[in-house]
Amino acid sequence: MEQQPDQNQEKEAMDMTKMFSMWLKATINFWENMPRMKPDESAMFNLFTNQPKGTPHQAQQTWDRGTKIAGALVSMLSEPENLDAMFKATDAVPEFIMKISQQVWEGYFEAQKNWTERAVRIGKHEKAYNFDDLDQETFKTLRDIYEKEFQRYFYIPQIGLTRFYQERANTAIDKYNIFQTALSEFIYMFYVPMEKSAMVMQEKIKDMVEKGEISDNYKEYYSMWIKILEGHYMKLLQSPEYTQVMNKTIHSLVAYRSARDEMMYDILKNLPIPTNREMDELYKEFYELKKKVRELSRKVEEQK
Amino acid sequence: MSQTKIPVDLILNRLAESTEEVKEKVQRASEVLLGSLETDISQTPHEIVYQEDRVKVKYYRPEKIKHKIPLLVVYALINRETMLDLQPGRSVIRNFLESGLEVYMIDWGYPKRKDQFVTIDDHVNGYMDNIIDFVRKKHNLSKINLMGICMGGSFCVMYSALHPEKIKNLVTTVTPTNFDTDKGLLHIWMKNTLAEEMGPTYGNMPADIMNLGFLLLNPARLIIDKYIGFFENMDNKKFVENFVRMEKWIFDSPDVPAATFKQFIEDCYKKNLLIQSKLELNGKRVDLKKITMPLLNFYGKYDHLVPPEACNLLTQKVGSQDTEDICLDTGHIGIYVSSKCQKEFTPKISKWLKQREGDEITEPATKTQPKKKKSTKSHRKNSRQTPKKRLSINKGQGEKR
Repeated sequence: MEQQPDQNQEKEAMDMTKMFSMWLKATINFWENMPRMKPDESAMFNLFTNQPKGTPHQAQQTWDRGTKIAGALVSMLSEPENLDAMFKATDAVPEFIMKISQQVWEGYFEAQKNWTERAVRIGKHEKAYNFDDLDQETFKTLRDIYEKEFQRYFYIPQIGLTRFYQERANTAIDKYNIFQTALSEFIYMFYVPMEKSAMVMQEKIKDMVEKGEISDNYKEYYSMWIKILEGHYMKLLQSPEYTQVMNKTIHSLVAYRSARDEMMYDILKNLPIPTNREMDELYKEFYELKKKVRELSRKVEEQK
Repeated sequence: MSQTKIPVDLILNRLAESTEEVKEKVQRASEVLLGSLETDISQTPHEIVYQEDRVKVKYYRPEKIKHKIPLLVVYALINRETMLDLQPGRSVIRNFLESGLEVYMIDWGYPKRKDQFVTIDDHVNGYMDNIIDFVRKKHNLSKINLMGICMGGSFCVMYSALHPEKIKNLVTTVTPTNFDTDKGLLHIWMKNTLAEEMGPTYGNMPADIMNLGFLLLNPARLIIDKYIGFFENMDNKKFVENFVRMEKWIFDSPDVPAATFKQFIEDCYKKNLLIQSKLELNGKRVDLKKITMPLLNFYGKYDHLVPPEACNLLTQKVGSQDTEDICLDTGHIGIYVSSKCQKEFTPKISKWLKQREGDEITEPATKTQPKKKKSTKSHRKNSRQTPKKRLSINKGQGEKR
């Protein structure tokens, strides 16, 4: 009695196997015979070619080969032991999917964990550089965070056919980010004297109010402000800090433009237009030739 | 404790008056700006007598020629030579013509990407040498007078050291030769940055970036105050015309060939080779001792681009004994455009050249000997001390550089 359900299941499985085997065979027979349904089977393939009648077309040969291979496979699958294995494999699919999903999710959670750790480190950077002095340290901190935590993603080794193109694109993005940071710092530096001048002006006006020396001519305030501002700028522009920031900006601009040009050359290579690189080579040759001609002309003149 | 009285009523009255003034000013300004304005520059008639690549030579002929030897003016590669002929009342060229001096002036043109490999040597021993030969031939002279402005002056110094047989008298104006000074911001920046890297990246050194750099030398005055001054005076037609002329000149800037820019920064600003007679052009050493012709050296006391310290060593380093330094109470551009300097600058040069014409008009170049040493170096001290007056030029105008 206990074995009854198993026997039923086995019987059902046998029926399923037979049915599946029959369906496969019918399908293959259909595709094998389909081209032959036409009176002239080769005509179906020779519709757009001028091949002589009766000669099998290359496409037809491929079709025949394909159906034969498929037929052989079906015959093989139709063997009871193979069908059984196939059904067992079908049973294994959910398990396989489960394992893959598990791996993917684990990888994702690991990556997320790394990112969270990096975020925590960013917080640590802030602490280390003390954001109390926000103005002075912000740019340094931002640059540091970028260089230590994000920049490396642009330098993950690229692989495959497009690796060089991808590398150049990544480098251009990286250099752009560095340039933007440097430029922001440079622009900020020019704002600092404005802020300082405003503070000095506030103090001065306060003193004037206390001394009762308030002027009714607003131009006097402007003259005072512009003089203070000029003084602050002069101090800033002569400072090594400014020169350093300016140099950093120039350097990052040059690096970004070079990287961007390299990337652009890849794009322009496929277009029917000469690139600057090609033109520069030509200009150099032209320059050298011209120089040589001038030298020779001069020598000829001297000989006369 | 007594409370300070703030004259709120007066301030408000003043503001009300100002508002009325501004309204009237804007009305007048709109009439000026919408009316016809004379803002053309470089109006003195001239002809192009020589051209090589992008480089041209302008020839200005006086009504009556009073000088035997013409003057070739070499401008810098930064900005354009039109500065010497901004307008009739402020034209170095016109003043020279009035003194009867024939003037040739190099127009370096606008370098394109194809010019990026052109070096200082190409400018000095190429273009300049060809032009000088052309002028010598045209006038049947073995030597001509040479005058350089700023970087053009440095080129003239290099040329005169390498080809002393072709130069009768040398005039240098706001010419940097000693770069080892921290007086000017440019000197500090050029020494401590990698500005020369920009040239090859852009093809040439872009003029707009250089102009931005010049504006940043004094942002309060050149970016803010200058234009406040313009708004305050924009109902004054004359002022507007002069202002626009200057704006046209300032922002009409050619790019500088990358190779020349790089060499100038590295050899001059960073290594200071010129004043040490160590600079080499195409393997030839620029030995300042070979400058044996008379030398007149002008510079501006308040020049923040080429400070006096960058100019005043030259006369001590050259081989010539007939030298003179003149320090004017002005800035880099004031020498050429301020009406006060116009009265001192060009008459002095004309007179100085006239005194040194001699009879050597057709003297063969190979027989040129240094003149008997006639030391006028004592002039230097006096001339440095005498000019004390500050030039009055429009605020923000002309003093940009």
